[in-house]
Amino acid sequence: MSLQKPVMRGLLARRLRFHLPIAIAIGLTSAVSFKYMVTEPRKRAYAEYYKHYDVNKEFNAMREAGVFESVQPTGK
Amino acid sequence: MAYPLQLGLQDATSPLMEELIQFHDHTLMIALLLSTMVFYTILTTVTTKLTNKNMLDSQGIETIWTIAPALILILIAMPSLRVLYMMDEVNNPHLTVKTIGHQWYWSYEYTDYKNLEFDSYMIPTQDLIPGQFRLLETDHRMVVPTDSPVRMLITADDVIHSWAVPTLGEKMDAIPGRLNQTTFVVSHPGVFYGQCSEICGANHSFMPISVEAIPLIHFEDWSTSMLAKI
Repeated sequence: MSLQKPVMRGLLARRLRFHLPIAIAIGLTSAVSFKYMVTEPRKRAYAEYYKHYDVNKEFNAMREAGVFESVQPTGK
Repeated sequence: MAYPLQLGLQDATSPLMEELIQFHDHTLMIALLLSTMVFYTILTTVTTKLTNKNMLDSQGIETIWTIAPALILILIAMPSLRVLYMMDEVNNPHLTVKTIGHQWYWSYEYTDYKNLEFDSYMIPTQDLIPGQFRLLETDHRMVVPTDSPVRMLITADDVIHSWAVPTLGEKMDAIPGRLNQTTFVVSHPGVFYGQCSEICGANHSFMPISVEAIPLIHFEDWSTSMLAKI
């Protein structure tokens, strides 16, 4: 009984056909996860922070807390 | 400002720094994509049960892994150049402040209208009052108005220093005999810290920068009072 001739061509292509889609899927999943778990929440956080930001209220709170040296708390 | 175990960039206090943070997130996302792909590839390579590894016929993959990185680099370069040019936009500053690096303190000059000049030395650790930050506080802060484009002209008196305030996205070398210009807008009031960023001698770590941003009307009162003191 003779042995079947082993396949010795296209091994890299076969391996790539199997592993490359998995590698791309993992890479894209991690990138998309990073985008929607870090990047977009960060952009929303900045937009939210400034949407209702009251400069005078924040400034006065910091002023009364004595944060500034150029402006003293009211009453001093 | 900086806090213990910090991993990322400080929160932005200027629109440009917000752009820089978004660009950093974009680039980090791409780096994460590539890193996970490479990690998976390495993992499969070192755990294979095959004794003969895949060889030969590599023209295809050589082409792919030449063109793909080129495309990825273009994807990084486009937002990079966008932010870079945004940093150089002319924005008609309302105020110009000159800062000079010395060994080992900064001096600030507000010469738009009258001559207001003062030095800014670090407050030594033993002189700090509770609540102040070690190695960051100065005896005189650089005060600027909020929501106003400020032009900084930066130079040095002796050796090279570097004026840096991370939360504003600012870092510019102070070089003797040269005037470097940078501009920024402070989005909200507060006190923002930085440190000299170019080795300049024994006390390089002990010449911090502190910027105090207050509304314009209070800034005018401050400059009047400072001029009266001098």
